[in-house]
Amino acid sequence: MSPGALTHERDVREAYAAHAGELYGFAVRSLGDAGLAEEAVQETFLRAWRAGERFDPQIGSLRTWLFAILRNVVIDLGRARAARPTLAEGGVEPSVEPFDEALLAWQIEEAMRRIGEQHRQILVETYYRGRPYAEVATELGIPEGTVKSRVYYGLRALRVVLEEMGYED
Amino acid sequence: MKTESCRRWRESLGAYALSQLPDEERSGLEAHLEGCPECRAEADSLLGVARMLPHADPDRFGPAPAPPPALGKRIAATIGAEKRTQRRRRRFRLSLGLSGATALAAAAVLAIFVLSDNPGAGPEQQVDFRSLPQGVTISATLEPQAFGTEIRMYVKGIRSGTLCRVYMRGAGGADVSAGTFRYRWGADESAVLSAALDLSRAKALVVHAGDRTFVAPVDAKTALHNPTNQEEPT
Repeated sequence: MSPGALTHERDVREAYAAHAGELYGFAVRSLGDAGLAEEAVQETFLRAWRAGERFDPQIGSLRTWLFAILRNVVIDLGRARAARPTLAEGGVEPSVEPFDEALLAWQIEEAMRRIGEQHRQILVETYYRGRPYAEVATELGIPEGTVKSRVYYGLRALRVVLEEMGYED
Repeated sequence: MKTESCRRWRESLGAYALSQLPDEERSGLEAHLEGCPECRAEADSLLGVARMLPHADPDRFGPAPAPPPALGKRIAATIGAEKRTQRRRRRFRLSLGLSGATALAAAAVLAIFVLSDNPGAGPEQQVDFRSLPQGVTISATLEPQAFGTEIRMYVKGIRSGTLCRVYMRGAGGADVSAGTFRYRWGADESAVLSAALDLSRAKALVVHAGDRTFVAPVDAKTALHNPTNQEEPT
C-alpha cells in the first residue's frame, strides 16, 4: 500500500471536500440530470474507497484518479440507460456526449468560472461573441489597447487555473 | 532574453493566439517570434489554451450546481457501514482461529449488572460490568445484526495474555458462544465478536476471563428488535 492511499474514512471525507463539487458539476453537465449525477458521484466515492489501497499519488493526482473512476461510472450509467426497454424498442440511441469531450468542455468552463470577471468578460465578448476590439472598448469605456492586454492576461490566467486544476494535455 | 521589442509585442500574444490580430500587426509579431525563442514559447503555450476554447460553451460559465449537502453524509454513512462489515469479517476469522487456546488464570469473581436504561438511544447498546476488582474495567457494546449480535468488548486491567471467552445468554438460559479473545496489556483496541443470538432475545452477557466469570444483564427493552433472527438456539 502506498502512502497517500485512500484507506481511511477520513481520507475519503477529505477527498470529498476537495473534489466533490467539481465531480458533481461535471456529472450534471455530462448526464444532464441532477439525480443521476448524485448517483454517479456517490458511486465514484464508493469505488474509490473500495479500491483505495490501489491509489498511488506517485502515479497521478487524486483528482485525475477520481475523474477516471467517474468516467467508468458515467459509462456504466449510460449503458444502463441504453438498456432501458423504451429506448431499445424505439431504437433510439441515447445521445450521451462522449465523456472525454464533455470533460474537456467542463474543465474550460470551470477554469472560466475561476478567473476574474474582467478576464472572463473580455474573452466572452471578443472570442465567443466575436466582437471587434473597438466596439468592446467603447462599450466598456477603456482604450482598445487595454482590451488587447486583457485578452492576453485573460488567457494567461486561464492557463494558470487549468494548471492548478491539474489539467493534463 | 527580454528586449524592448519583447515588451512591445508581449501583450499582443493573446490576440495573436485567438487569431484576432490585424494582418499587418500579425506579420510584425511573427517576424519577432522568428528571432525570439522566449516569446515563441509563450505564444505556443497560449495557442494551446486557445485551442481548447472552442470546446467550451459560454452559456455554461455561470455558477456550477453544487452537490446537495446530504450527498456527503450519505456517502460517509455507506462507507462507514461497509467498513464495519469488513472489520466484522476479519475479526470473526480471528476469533475462530483462537478458540482452541488454553485459559489462563485471572483474579476475581464478581457480580455485575448493566447500565443501559436509555431506551430509544439507537441500535447500539452499551453494557458495563460493575463491581469489578480494583483497576479492572470490562464493558461491551452490542449491536443488532442480521446474523445475530455484534459484540465489541473493552477490557482493561486483567493479566496480559488472559484468554476471554464470551457468551450471550438467551431468554431460555442457554449460552451462545460469541468467540474468544486474549487481553493484551497496553492494547487499546476492542475485540469484535459475534453471536448468533438476536439482541432482543438476549438476557445477559457472560465473560469467562481465565477461571473467573463475569455476567452483565442485557436489557431487552433497549435492544432493537431484529425480525430476521427469531429462533433461539437450544
